[in-house]
Amino acid sequence: MSLSNTRTLMAELRQRMGEDDPMPSRREPQRIPDPPVRVYPKPRRPSRFAKEAAAHTTALVGIGRVGTRYATSVVLQFQAELAVAHSAVATVLPDEWAAENGLLSLNSRVEDHRQFLLRPDLGRRLDEDSLSRLREQATKGVDIQPILADGLSAVACMGSGVALLEHLTAECEQRGWTVGTPMCARFARVWLEDEIGQEVGAKVAVILLGERPGLGTGDGLSAYMVYKPEVGKTDSDRNMISNIHQRGIPPPEAAHRLALMAGAMLEQVTSGVTLDLGPLTTELGDAAGTGLREPQVREPLVFVGEEGEGR
Amino acid sequence: MRSTIRGVGYSFDTVKEVLAKANPPKSGDDLAGVSASSAVERTAARAVLADMTLRHLRNNPVVPYEQDELTRLVEDTLDEQAFKAVGHLTVGQFREWLLESSTTGAMIRSISLGLTPEIVAATAKLMSNMDLLVAGAKCRVIVRANNTFGLPGRLSSRVQPNHPTDDVQGIMHSAREGLAYGCGDAVLGVNPSTDTPESTAEILRELHDLRVRNGIPTQHCVLSHVIVQMKALSELKCPMDLMFQSFAGSEKANAAFGINVSLMDEAYAMMRELGSASGPNCMYFETGQGSALSSDAHHGADQVTMEARCYGFARRYKPFLVNTVVGFIGPEYLEDGPQITRAALEDHFMGKLMGLPMGCDACFTYHSSMSQDELESLKVLLGAAGCSYLMSMPVGDDIMLNYQSTSYHDIPSVRMLLGKRPTPEFDAWLSSVGIMDGAVPGPRFGDVTVLR
Repeated sequence: MSLSNTRTLMAELRQRMGEDDPMPSRREPQRIPDPPVRVYPKPRRPSRFAKEAAAHTTALVGIGRVGTRYATSVVLQFQAELAVAHSAVATVLPDEWAAENGLLSLNSRVEDHRQFLLRPDLGRRLDEDSLSRLREQATKGVDIQPILADGLSAVACMGSGVALLEHLTAECEQRGWTVGTPMCARFARVWLEDEIGQEVGAKVAVILLGERPGLGTGDGLSAYMVYKPEVGKTDSDRNMISNIHQRGIPPPEAAHRLALMAGAMLEQVTSGVTLDLGPLTTELGDAAGTGLREPQVREPLVFVGEEGEGR
Repeated sequence: MRSTIRGVGYSFDTVKEVLAKANPPKSGDDLAGVSASSAVERTAARAVLADMTLRHLRNNPVVPYEQDELTRLVEDTLDEQAFKAVGHLTVGQFREWLLESSTTGAMIRSISLGLTPEIVAATAKLMSNMDLLVAGAKCRVIVRANNTFGLPGRLSSRVQPNHPTDDVQGIMHSAREGLAYGCGDAVLGVNPSTDTPESTAEILRELHDLRVRNGIPTQHCVLSHVIVQMKALSELKCPMDLMFQSFAGSEKANAAFGINVSLMDEAYAMMRELGSASGPNCMYFETGQGSALSSDAHHGADQVTMEARCYGFARRYKPFLVNTVVGFIGPEYLEDGPQITRAALEDHFMGKLMGLPMGCDACFTYHSSMSQDELESLKVLLGAAGCSYLMSMPVGDDIMLNYQSTSYHDIPSVRMLLGKRPTPEFDAWLSSVGIMDGAVPGPRFGDVTVLR
């Protein structure tokens, strides 16, 4: 079939389907009425269900809907919570931060942030420079060696990290224990405390590091403690306290609980699943073994047109 | 085994090496040190794989028969007649047969029980994402508990109302909200914080009351360890529609989960006798790429093959639900959106091909590099692939496990986009209470007060 024949055929077909514009004629636009106010977390008139639910859970229920999707304010709140979590993960601890805060600066074998996420094995050992720095500068043969670290949130480390370290040191010194050189490790995983603790010959090592952020919560620290640290210890040799931040367990309280836990380790000369924390249940709360943590308090994060502190 | 690309020869020593190097890029295979060193080497491995017969794959499982009870289980119970129908084909030919328009779901089902995990994993490696969608959508697996699950044109969902301290009222508020959005026809399933028989029984009783009070044709489940559920069922006599367990792809990896074949046989027998659902299917399993490597039990194999081996284990128990928790394990196994998307489509295809009612927890942790938009797209892809069910929770935010999954709002959205409905029994219930009006939202859609 020749090209001109095809053109004629197409033209005829189009004509049969309606002249030029294949869409039906446009309606007169009508003013769209304001939709009902939907704001997170509905401060004006929360439904009875949302109120009841809020007494029991921080899950975002009773948030209503637009068609099958979320109201705009819910979307913005969600995106803000997601952004807080993602930026906490993406933040890298600056090179000079440890020194500026009077801490011995250490690095794991990890070279950059992506490698940190992909190679947990490298985050569990010190690089050579750090190892020799540790050997030269750190006090040896201490009762307890605290290690501040970035973990999965440098934001948390730079936030309540120093306060937690100071409170913990004070709690330990009050009990007459020798406390190791204050130090901070970068690109660190939990098991890094084994090598550090072994090198300085500590009886107990505790690493205070940023925990994996959840929605809206990038500032939580966890503490993992091990008795007689050495390379090769596993998770069942450790005890931990999580959710350390102002809205969870505040640093002074966390430091107190950690000191109680260290005391139990020094007394029972063990840690992990074989450590009996039964007598400390009331004071330790979740660390005593239930593993439960209270839900994070959800706060509205987005305010339009209001004065903030600026960043 | 050799192949040549642009005059450069590539050689491979073992079937396991070919399988691993043929795998699309996954951070977990890099971590295990088994992946191809370049895209060209990957293609060379695929060329070798395409030319390998299914019989050769059956004869060379990635973990030897003598060392692993899962290998023995698959080999000893394989449907010989079904295997004979396809054993002579190469993987390349088998891929083409699956994709052929004349090959129907019924034809695939007829040979399904003759396929070993290694065969299924090899086939997935020769498929693009679109191949996985097309072939996956052909496979039908229909099962029954309190409703009929997996029918064509259906997309189901699990309501996952987890709570960080197991506050039962908090769990129930979330569950009611989910039901009001038409979610929950696969299961009302709670991951408990406390792994005890008492708390398992307490949550199950509450879910049971909610289900009975409102006449909801669905199932309930508390996802504690199988031993804990067995105690709750036999000693505390609680209702239990589905029994749950996580599976991994080798005997050693399952030992890290505290399970083995004989324990699961015992659990299944107990559930057949004491379970509270009415249909013949009463088990629920979860899997996920990377779980074997995380307990150093991958035997040098890649994570897709190890994942397929979970399905070889799961099909022994004729489960009502199986799902792959695809992005939960972290970026060291699946780094980003493309890897998580790929894994979701692979796992769905492999599970369905082996005859399992396959769902997917499309999800990411907050330290992986997947965006919310990519995750939402993945839910649509899974719906298009005929995935049997997705998870659902408020805004996709699991407040206990701290990860991002599918939301109560996503389920009706995907259903309407793709013209899908929930299971027929549940669909009728939704319309009877006004949550839906047939295929569209009804007058009580999203209204929790409809649930007593």
